[in-house]
Amino acid sequence: MAYYIAIGSSDGINTDLKFGEVEKFLIYKVEGTDYELYEKREVADADGFAAKCGDKNGCSGSGHGCGGGEEVAAKVTAIEDCRAVVCKKIGFQAQKQFEKRAISVFDIETTITDALDKIAGYYNKIDNNRSLRS
Amino acid sequence: MQTVQAIDRALPILHSGPGCAQKLSDTNGSSGYFSPNIFPCTSINEKDVVFGGVKKLNSTIDNALKVIDADLYVVLTGCIPEIVGDDSGEVVSRFEDADKPVIYAPTAGFKGNNYKGHEQVVDAIVEQYLKKSDKKQKGLINIWADVPYQDLFWLGNLRALEKLVAELGLTPNTIFGYNRGIENINKIPEAEFNLLVSPWVGLGNVKKMERKFGTPYLHYPTLPIGATETSKFLREVGKFAGVDEAKVEAVIKEHEDYYYYLIGRYADLFLENRVINKQFTVVADAQYSLGITKFLVNDLGLIPAKQFVVDDTPKNYRDQITEEFKKLNFGIEAEVSFETDGYKIHSEIKEHDYHGYPLVLGGYYEKEVTESLKGNFLNISWPVQDKVVFDRSYVGYEGGIRLIEDIYTVAVSRFN
Repeated sequence: MAYYIAIGSSDGINTDLKFGEVEKFLIYKVEGTDYELYEKREVADADGFAAKCGDKNGCSGSGHGCGGGEEVAAKVTAIEDCRAVVCKKIGFQAQKQFEKRAISVFDIETTITDALDKIAGYYNKIDNNRSLRS
Repeated sequence: MQTVQAIDRALPILHSGPGCAQKLSDTNGSSGYFSPNIFPCTSINEKDVVFGGVKKLNSTIDNALKVIDADLYVVLTGCIPEIVGDDSGEVVSRFEDADKPVIYAPTAGFKGNNYKGHEQVVDAIVEQYLKKSDKKQKGLINIWADVPYQDLFWLGNLRALEKLVAELGLTPNTIFGYNRGIENINKIPEAEFNLLVSPWVGLGNVKKMERKFGTPYLHYPTLPIGATETSKFLREVGKFAGVDEAKVEAVIKEHEDYYYYLIGRYADLFLENRVINKQFTVVADAQYSLGITKFLVNDLGLIPAKQFVVDDTPKNYRDQITEEFKKLNFGIEAEVSFETDGYKIHSEIKEHDYHGYPLVLGGYYEKEVTESLKGNFLNISWPVQDKVVFDRSYVGYEGGIRLIEDIYTVAVSRFN
C-alpha cells in the first residue's frame, strides 16, 4: 500500500529547510522500498511570520510558532494525507499537531535519498512484520 | 539500574526510550546522590530508530562524563536499541581512554528480569573493567548476595554477612552500599575467594571470576537466618577459609548462648497454641523462600505448607533448589513451586488446609488473600508497601530475632 512523505527542501537534494520556512513541500509517493517525486505542493506562505516576529531568536528558531496556531495548523492540514514529514527542524507546536493526526515527524538534515531510503526501509519492515535488526 | 545505583558513585547511563528509570523512583530508598530521576538517558524516539541512535548515545556519554561527577559509568541499553540492533558496545569502546571508566551491559527488558540484569552488570564489571591481579590478599573475601533494591533488606543483609565473616578473623569485601564503591571493586581480583550467599543469583558471576582471576568460590545457597543456619554457615565458611576450628566454635557459642537466652524468655508465647500458626507459606524470590523456610522449620518448629519461588529461576537451577528445600530438620521436606502467576499462587493458598490460621510471608499482593483467610501476613518481599527499611536485616543471629519479633508482633496484635 502506497503512502506519502512530505519533505522540506530548497534544492531537491537535501532536507535543509525548517518547517516554518517551507513554502513548497516535496511530496514523495512510497511503495515498499521504492519512491518517486509525486507532487510539489504549495502551502500557506511563510514570510508573514518574519515580519510579525521581528526577532527570529525569540522562539525556538524554527521560524514559526509565535504567529499563532492558525498558520501552523494550516500548514499541517495541507500535508495531512502524508504518513511522515521530514524537515531540518520542526517546532514544538507543529510536532503536537502532527502527533494528533498520527503523522510521524523526522527533524533531521540529510540528503533526501538517505532520508527516504531509511524511512521507507523502516516502514517496509514494520508493515511486513519483519525484524528491524539487519 | 538498581545494581549500578547501589554501587557508591556509579552512574547508569540509559540508552532507551524516555521514562525507563521512572519505574525505580518509588520511594523505597532509591533517592540520593544519583536518584533515578537524574540518570542521563538518550530518550530515543522514532527518528532515532529510523536514523540510528548511535550519535545520540555518543553525545550523551560524552556529556555525562563532563557534567556528572561519578567514578564509574555503566551504559545500559533498553528495549528499543536492542530491537533495532544499535551497536552500543562499539560506542562505549570509543571511550576507552576517558578519565573515568565506561562500561556497558545489554539489558533489554525482553531478554530477562532484573535478577539476570544484576548478573549482567557484575559480569560487565568483571569483563570490561577489572584486570587480573597477581597479588592476592590473604583473608580477603568478596561477598555476593542478592539484588540490591529489589531485595528491600539488601543493605542490612550485606552488612550482617560482613560482620559475621569479620568475626571469623577474615576481611570482607563488598561493592554495594555506603562507602564501598570503586575502591572495593578494584580489590575484587585480589581476594582469596568469593563467597556467594544466594541460591542462584550470581552463580554465573563467581564462575566467571574463577575463570578470569583464578579465584575459587564457595557457594552457600541458603541465606543464614537464625541460629541453626548461621552456625552452619560460620562452620562452612570457616572450614573453606582454613580458620581454626576452635575459634569458629567460640564465635558460634557466644552468639548461640545469647540467642537462646532471648528465645527462652519468650518460649511460653511460642508454645501458646492460640497465637502461633501451625503452617506457613513463603511467597518470595528463591533467596528468602529458602532462607525463611529453613528458619521457620528448624528454629521455630513450624510446618511448611507449599512454598513459592517467584523470581523466574532459570530452569537449570531449579532441581538443586528443590533439593535444598528437602534438607530440613526432623526429616521434614518442604514442597516448592516455581510460579510467577499470582492468581495461581493465591488459588493454591486458598485451597490448602493450614490446620488453623495460615502464616504467609510474601509480597504486598499476598496481603489481601491472607486476610481473607484470617491469616497472619508479613510483607518481606517485593513489593513492600507497608514498611520502611533502612539497614535492618534478617540475616544472622540478630536477624533471626528480628524476624521472630516481626512475625509475632503481627500475631499478637491480632489477638489483643
